[in-house]
Amino acid sequence: MGEPLLTTQKLSNHFGKVCTALDLDLSFERGVLTSIIGPNGAGKSTLINLLTGHLPVQAGKIRFQGRDITRLPIHKRVRMGICRSFQIVNVFPELTVAQNVMIPVLARAGRSWRPIRSLSRETALMQETEAILEKVALLPERDTPATALSHGDLRLLEVGVALAAAPTLLFLDEPTAGMNPVERVRLLDNIRQIAREGRTTFVVVEHDMDVVFSLSERIIVLHRGEILCDGTPGQVRADAKVREVYLGDDVSDLFRYREE
Amino acid sequence: MKAQTRNAVAAAVVLLALCAVPFLSGKFAIYLTMRIMLLGIFAVGYNLLLGQTGLLSFGHGAFYAAGAYGLGLFGVHVSTHPLLGVAAGVAAAVLLALLVGTLCVRHTEIYFAMLTLACGMMAFSFFWNAREITGGDDGLIGIVRAPVSLFGGIRMPIGKDEQFYFFVLFFFALSVWVAHRIRHSPFGLALAGIRENARRSEFAGVPVRRYRLAVFVLSGAFAGLAGSLEALLESNARPFMAHWTHSAEPILVSLLGGLSSLAGPLVGSAIFVAMREIIQRFTENWMLGFGVVLLVIIMGFRGGVVGTLSALFRKATAPGEG
Repeated sequence: MGEPLLTTQKLSNHFGKVCTALDLDLSFERGVLTSIIGPNGAGKSTLINLLTGHLPVQAGKIRFQGRDITRLPIHKRVRMGICRSFQIVNVFPELTVAQNVMIPVLARAGRSWRPIRSLSRETALMQETEAILEKVALLPERDTPATALSHGDLRLLEVGVALAAAPTLLFLDEPTAGMNPVERVRLLDNIRQIAREGRTTFVVVEHDMDVVFSLSERIIVLHRGEILCDGTPGQVRADAKVREVYLGDDVSDLFRYREE
Repeated sequence: MKAQTRNAVAAAVVLLALCAVPFLSGKFAIYLTMRIMLLGIFAVGYNLLLGQTGLLSFGHGAFYAAGAYGLGLFGVHVSTHPLLGVAAGVAAAVLLALLVGTLCVRHTEIYFAMLTLACGMMAFSFFWNAREITGGDDGLIGIVRAPVSLFGGIRMPIGKDEQFYFFVLFFFALSVWVAHRIRHSPFGLALAGIRENARRSEFAGVPVRRYRLAVFVLSGAFAGLAGSLEALLESNARPFMAHWTHSAEPILVSLLGGLSSLAGPLVGSAIFVAMREIIQRFTENWMLGFGVVLLVIIMGFRGGVVGTLSALFRKATAPGEG
C-alpha cells in the first residue's frame, strides 16, 4: 500500500468547552473508500473542516503525501489534491451548470488568471468540463443556471464541482441528503464508478446506514470527538461500543445489516 | 451567436455616433459627451469590482484623484507629453490602489466598504492639506494640453476641445473593450465565482484574496485613467475628486444603468451627466431631483435601465415563453 495519503497527529478542536476532536490519530490510504459515521455532534463535520482547511487547526498536525499542510490555506490544499463537497448545497447560484464546473477546472489548469483571452477559446477545458458533467449526469442541464435546478440535481452539481478540482482525496459531506431513492442510487453508482477508476479516494460522511454499509470498505465511528471504532464494515457491526452508542438510535439499521 | 453579433453592431453604431459628435454639434455637447465618457471609463472599471466581483468600495475617488494629480505633477516636474502624463497618472493610481487594496481585501461587505471609505478620506485630506505638493484647496492648476508627439515626427495638437475629444474617445473605446474582454475571460468567470460564493471559490482552488486585490487594482487603474483625462480636460486637479461623494458616483451610475451588464454603467453615465445638466438649470439642489429619479429607478426598474430594457426585449422576441 505504501505511504498513507493523509495522516493526522493528535488533531484536536474545541468550541468553547465542547470538544469536537480530541487527539485524533488517523490515516487514510489511497483507494480505500472510507465512511465516517457517528451520532449528531460526534465531530464528523469538524474533522472534514479541519482536514480541508475550513477550520484553523488548534492543536495537532496534518500531513498529506508527506507534506505538512496543517497551516496551508484552503486553495493551496485544493491545488495539492484535497477537496470536499458540502452538506448544504454550496454552489455558484447565478452561474450556469457548466460555469460552476468550469471554475475549478480553470483554476486547476492554472488558466483562471487570464484576463483578455476569451473563455470560448478554452476548448480543451470545455471538453473536460463536459466530461465531468457527463459523469454526474448533468450534461443536458449545462446551460441552466444553478438556481433553476431541482434539489437532486443541485446535489449532483455539488459533487460535480468538487470532482472538477480533480482531487486525489475527496471528502463528501452527506452527499445524498434529501435525495429521492432514484437519484441516490444513481449518485452512489457514480461514486463507486469514479472510485474504481482509481484517481480519487473518497471519504464520505453519512447518516444513512444503507449508504454507509453498501458503499464503504472502511468505517470510522466518531463519538464526542474521539474514535470509537475504526475498521471494516463487519468489524464495526460487531463492535459492542458502537452498538451501545447507537442504542435506541440507528441500532435497528445496524442489526439489519448484521442479519443479511 | 446572434446576441453576440447584435452587440457588436450596437457597439459599432455607438462608436460611429461618438465619432460624429464633434462634427455635428456645438461646443457644449462636445464637452458633455467628454464628461459622459470620463464617467463611463470610471464606472465601467468600477463595475468590474462591484457588478462582477461583488465588492462595494467607497474609496475609488482617491484613485481618480491620484490619476489627476499624478498627471499634473508629472507635467510640472517631468514632461507635459499627454500620453506619458496619462501613463504616470494611471501608475500613481495603481500604486495607491495596491496599497489601499492590500489593507482592505482582508475584509468583505460592510467592513470592506468602510475601510475603503476611510482610506479614500485619508487621501482626500492629504490632497487638501499638502499645499506644497498638491496646491491644497486650490487644487493643482494650469495643467496644459501639449500636443501628442508620436515616434518623433508626428505631432497631434489636442489643445482645442474638438481635438481633445478624440483623445478621450480613444481611451474610452479602449477601456470599454478591455472591460468587455475581462468580463468574458477565465479571470472574469473566476471573479463572478467569487461574487456568487467566495468560500466555494477557495474550494475550487481560487486564491480569493489575491483575485480581489487584482480586480481592486484593475478598477483603480480605470479610475486613474479617467482622473488623468479629467485633469487634461479641466486643466486642473482638485481635492474633491477624492471626496467620498465623488466615490459614490460610479455606484449611482451602475445602479442607474444596471450592475450586471457592460452597457449598464455606460448608459447610467449618460443619464447621470445629462440629468445633472438639465436639473441644474432649474435648481441649485440638483441632488434632490436626482434622488427622486434614483428612487424611481431602483424601486421600479430592478436591474437598472439596461437590465429592465433587455428583459422586456427578451420577452418581446420570445413570445412563446410568455
